[in-house]
Amino acid sequence: MAAGNTIAHRDKRFFIAVIGDEDTVTGFLLSGIGNIDSSKNANFFVVDLKETSISSIEDAFKRFTRDSNTAVVLINQNIANEIRAEINAFKKPIPAVLEIPSKEHPYDASQDGILQRVRGMLGQAT
Amino acid sequence: MAPGGMLLFNTDDGYLEAIIRGYRAGILSSADYANLCQCETLEDFRMQLTATDYGNFLQNEPSPLATTTIQEHARKKLVDEFRAISTQATEPLATFLDYLTYPYMIDNLILLITGTFKEKDISELIDKCHPLGLFDSMASLCIATTPEELYREIVVDTPLAPYFAECVSLDDLTALNIEIIRNTLYKAYLEDFYQYCQKLGGATAELMGLLLQFEADRRAINITMHSFGTSLRKNERESLYCNFGELHPEGIMRLARADDRSSVASIIEPYGTYRRLWSAAMDNPDKNLEDAFFEYEVYLAKQAFDQQFHYAIFYAYLRLKEQEIRNIGWIAECISQKNKSKLNKYIVVF
Amino acid sequence: MASKDRLPVVPSRLSLQQMKTKYQGASKGHSMLKKKSDALMVRFRAILKEVYEKKLEAGEESREAMMALAQAKYAFGGELKHTVMETVKDATLTLKTVSDNVAGVQLPSFFKSEAEPGEDGGGTMMLTGLGKGGESINDARDVFTHTLELLIQIAALQTSFLILDEAIKLTNRRVNALENVVKPRIENTKKFIESELDELEREEFFRLKLIQNKKERERKKAEGEQAKVANNVELLTPFNPDKFANPEKATDLIGVAAGVDEDILF
Repeated sequence: MAAGNTIAHRDKRFFIAVIGDEDTVTGFLLSGIGNIDSSKNANFFVVDLKETSISSIEDAFKRFTRDSNTAVVLINQNIANEIRAEINAFKKPIPAVLEIPSKEHPYDASQDGILQRVRGMLGQAT
Repeated sequence: MAPGGMLLFNTDDGYLEAIIRGYRAGILSSADYANLCQCETLEDFRMQLTATDYGNFLQNEPSPLATTTIQEHARKKLVDEFRAISTQATEPLATFLDYLTYPYMIDNLILLITGTFKEKDISELIDKCHPLGLFDSMASLCIATTPEELYREIVVDTPLAPYFAECVSLDDLTALNIEIIRNTLYKAYLEDFYQYCQKLGGATAELMGLLLQFEADRRAINITMHSFGTSLRKNERESLYCNFGELHPEGIMRLARADDRSSVASIIEPYGTYRRLWSAAMDNPDKNLEDAFFEYEVYLAKQAFDQQFHYAIFYAYLRLKEQEIRNIGWIAECISQKNKSKLNKYIVVF
Repeated sequence: MASKDRLPVVPSRLSLQQMKTKYQGASKGHSMLKKKSDALMVRFRAILKEVYEKKLEAGEESREAMMALAQAKYAFGGELKHTVMETVKDATLTLKTVSDNVAGVQLPSFFKSEAEPGEDGGGTMMLTGLGKGGESINDARDVFTHTLELLIQIAALQTSFLILDEAIKLTNRRVNALENVVKPRIENTKKFIESELDELEREEFFRLKLIQNKKERERKKAEGEQAKVANNVELLTPFNPDKFANPEKATDLIGVAAGVDEDILF
């Protein structure tokens, strides 16, 4: 399996990357997930949908998902919607791309790609 | 000149005091807050604010509004007001007003120092600085690329230089936790400001004494409470306490040895004010000690308006306005998150 | 039975044996894969439910977290975000993975690993808001850390979900391939070989019969000639193929012979 290779190192530390509005990022950084490596690449990316260009969000997403040290990528749902094509095109199990609610946008299960699949499989009208 | 002198106060500072009292009338009332709390969206919120002294300060902002935008604009309004006053101030009020901007300066400088450590672009950082804490040589900070340069070339030019020279050496700058540096500077600033106010004498000394003593005590208690479970050592902690305040010297000494919350509680037990605040915070699960402190600060600041011919009113106005901005931010936050369960946390000023 | 539905073999007893072994192997593989697929399915269903519930739970959690952050901002001031973002250096909260083996499929689970708050690096964020706002900031940190724990669980589940999904598809493909392609093909081959062998046998039998007939005729001819020569004409019963085809009669003959010959001791 593709994942087999990634999990090879037992003691390896994996990072959690965040793409989100400043509040989301600030909050998660408080819990200590933030990391800036020696080449000054941060594992978080602040998006202001009024100013940040879609392509730079996509770039950040690609950078995080290609990084072998990242195991989880958190992304605000409303931002994920902006780069939906990119997210749907990403099929690998690791890193896990998690869509999280943002401050102004409460969690909408119907927009979550993974959850939609889950629901389709459970075969329930929930 | 003692600015407390009733006879001569109005010659230099009467006009500005009048202006401040005029501004004070613009502080949101409890009715305004009640209206703001009724809002369902931030657009409503913006509409409600136009009915207050804030006017159409948000009119050029595109929708959707962010809570931070609202807060930033409210802060900008405060900064404008403050600048209008400080440009007209004569000595010694001018110096007094300068003192008021130092805390912001400390925060800004700390931000810049952390940024330089990371070799960030300084001009980018300056945008993040608090406008009240900007200083002249800030533009030249772009030259500094290393902490050493920053220390030698820039810091000496700022009004904060004496505090730096007193407490922070170049080695500390790289070795110490940035928060410790921040609080060391703050302590030095508070002590200096306190002495300056005492020198001014009169009602200023009296009222500012109260306010600053409270500030010093609050910091001491906060630092103690917050240091539990962190890497902050007791001797480091002790060095961050101010050398004045109601708790000084006895309470401070005991605070330095405190190990947990309950020991803090027993230390502040003899001090009526803090005992009251503590129990107020403990009785109400929605409120923590810091909220109680904020309330008390508002109470003290309001008292400053009861007297005339003194400078404390400027300090008090700044504090009240900051509380107001906090309130606005809080209510806006609750509205935007559609979570009104804790809406009533704000503190009505007047 | 089209020729492409069977394996290219030379019909022989040996290849028939090989086919039988192959068929057994395929059947065994089929049942084992079926079991694996079932095992994965069980796990998969469990995960589905959990992912769904946890995701909704995380939605609620985040609301709380945002509220806590708003309180921290209230207490510390709007500059909190800058202070926090600029203080970031090394991650103190990272993940470790442990993989879990379900029917030969490696499923990762993540565990958060928190670095000890060290002298400076680790504890940097711990002291934020030391002089003011610390309490609220700590609260916000706690809530966010808790939310994060939940998210980490979800991440592990989601990853397992994707891996399992893939594995189940793969296994089911194999099961179906065995069931619908490989096994019928072997069966066809077996049938083909069997029928070929039968055909060969019948041919052989027919050939033998022909030869026997011919030999009999020749023998009769020779005997007839002999009888004529000996003037002892005795009509022999005509050739009865049953005598050869029916083994029962043959044993009967033996039985009769045994019954007649009582003197023979066994």
